[in-house]
Amino acid sequence: MTLEVRGLTKTHPGGTLATIRNLDLTVDSGRITALLGPSGAGKTTVMKLIAGLLAPDAGQVTLAGRSILHLPPEQRGVVMVFQNPLLFPHLTVAENVGFGLRMRGLPTTEIRARVTEMLERTQLTGLGSRRPAELSGGQAQRVALARALVLKPDLLLLDEPLSSLDPTLRDDMRALILTLQRETAVTTLVVTHDQTEAVVLADRIALLLEGCLAQHGPPDQIYRQPASLAVARFFGGANFLPGRATAGVFQSAIGPIPLPAGLPGALTDGPGVLTIRPEAIDLVAPAHPGALTARIVASTFLGTQSRVELDLGGTQLQALVSPDFAQGLTKGQALGVVLPPSALWVVPDPA
Amino acid sequence: MTGRANPFWLLAPALLVLGGLFLSALGLTLIRSFRYMPVIGLTEPDLAAYAAVLASPGFLASLGLSLWIAVASTGISAVLALGAALLLRQTFPGRRLIGFLVQMNLTVPHVVGAVGMAYLVSQSGVFARLAHAAGVIDAPGQFPALTQDPFAIGIILLYVWKEVPFITLILLANLQSIGADHEATARSLGASPWQAFRHVTLPMLRPGLLAASALVFAFAFGAYEIPLLLGASTPKALPVLAWQSYTNVDLAARPEAAAMAVIIALIGLATLLAYAHFAQPMADRGRDAR
Repeated sequence: MTLEVRGLTKTHPGGTLATIRNLDLTVDSGRITALLGPSGAGKTTVMKLIAGLLAPDAGQVTLAGRSILHLPPEQRGVVMVFQNPLLFPHLTVAENVGFGLRMRGLPTTEIRARVTEMLERTQLTGLGSRRPAELSGGQAQRVALARALVLKPDLLLLDEPLSSLDPTLRDDMRALILTLQRETAVTTLVVTHDQTEAVVLADRIALLLEGCLAQHGPPDQIYRQPASLAVARFFGGANFLPGRATAGVFQSAIGPIPLPAGLPGALTDGPGVLTIRPEAIDLVAPAHPGALTARIVASTFLGTQSRVELDLGGTQLQALVSPDFAQGLTKGQALGVVLPPSALWVVPDPA
Repeated sequence: MTGRANPFWLLAPALLVLGGLFLSALGLTLIRSFRYMPVIGLTEPDLAAYAAVLASPGFLASLGLSLWIAVASTGISAVLALGAALLLRQTFPGRRLIGFLVQMNLTVPHVVGAVGMAYLVSQSGVFARLAHAAGVIDAPGQFPALTQDPFAIGIILLYVWKEVPFITLILLANLQSIGADHEATARSLGASPWQAFRHVTLPMLRPGLLAASALVFAFAFGAYEIPLLLGASTPKALPVLAWQSYTNVDLAARPEAAAMAVIIALIGLATLLAYAHFAQPMADRGRDAR
């Protein structure tokens, strides 16, 4: 069931909640889309608008082509799982998982069968008679997921499903979400503030910055071809060279840089900011043909990688290299820098 | 030992006051209720006072009346307070004013409320005269008896007026700490508004509602001044009857008064134990979970 959101707007006069402006969003049927944005960007508000827990000021929300805005939350076929598990403390685990089925008035035997099956699929077998207070954080989160999936919703909304878990539990939960989503093929919208999480979980990412959709596309596209400086910054971009593109060449403080063929026309002519991801920069010998000359300012060991800060005649760049390579470098040393054309991208000048 | 004192010694002054005043008074009452009063020649303890009290139609009528007052005031207050708390949880114009009025009500002493209630709803009160002036009734005396009446309606009205804000404030605090997300989750899982209230909000409010109701019940059952001011002369509420027997010039009536006092205390204790039995496990279960 494809979810389509068009022109969704919600303001909170005098309120503390974030404002949503004219949001367009598509979640393809059976796929996972991540709604990504920093805290306070209005992600949870979008979730609640889709779930029917808030009413929008304007806009349209359709599921499989039919508008759901006029429906109360319980009739939308949309189930929202909040950031906290929010299990009902007075009910057992099995009663929590069976809650939605019981509200629909299903026969007890069917509820029991579906709950048992769901507990098994979420690795909760044997915990059915426990109380929520007797569960670990990871177990509680799995019960919350089971409680939603047992209803076979048309659309599943997950609000920061991993953020309340310990790092070690996150990988398990992430794998479980991916497995269950693949098995059930439920259309899923995940809200997260963590770009790594969005990249790992989602087929498509919708990036929400300050209440507006900043970019919407597959993770690698947002990663390599950010639509704006803000998007590039949010995705960990560190190298920004202001300048002007003219006839396939970018004029900047470090000299003319040839741009790759195939860049959209708007980016090959006019003022812009050249970006290159730190991991794409090649460090070579100073005499390497075509290399720019740089000096090493600092080198920081990050674990699996090392960050090398470079100075190119007053312009700072960052490169990520292997720690082995970084060990052979000394501060002040001269190096050649190659910017591979395929990794170059120009975003419009925000000014 | 570290430098910290045993909490027992820090609590000792409070325990001394509690034990000295409360327990010794209770003990003396207990001894008297067993008809041990050397002053008037009673030296053989027995249960005759209890037998006499329990066999007396006057006592049983008073016990029934007091239970009726306590059950009715607690029940009506709890239901109204639940509704009020759910309404006050929402935001609407005038909410702050209503919230202020609710809190202000708590500062009015019961006795002041009783005088006001008598002024309003007695057969010579404002409502009776207004009804007469409007021609609804022929004489103020035809106004239904709402004070000094056999069903204690005036007393119950006053308790409802006083205790609804009390329970409401406790429930509002509970609702605030529970938050709205459990209810939203229930709705998202397919519960109608009524189902979400019935199966999620109400059970989560149960511990607070029970605690507040138990306090109101124990108070309404054991309070003296309101039945004295607004109650009928027969039957009297149990505390009024007990005090009257206690202040009787005939010292021989003292053991019966003491027996009544013990029975009142036992019923209060039973309420507390029932509350602890039903509410505490719930509260324990509810503690984490969010």
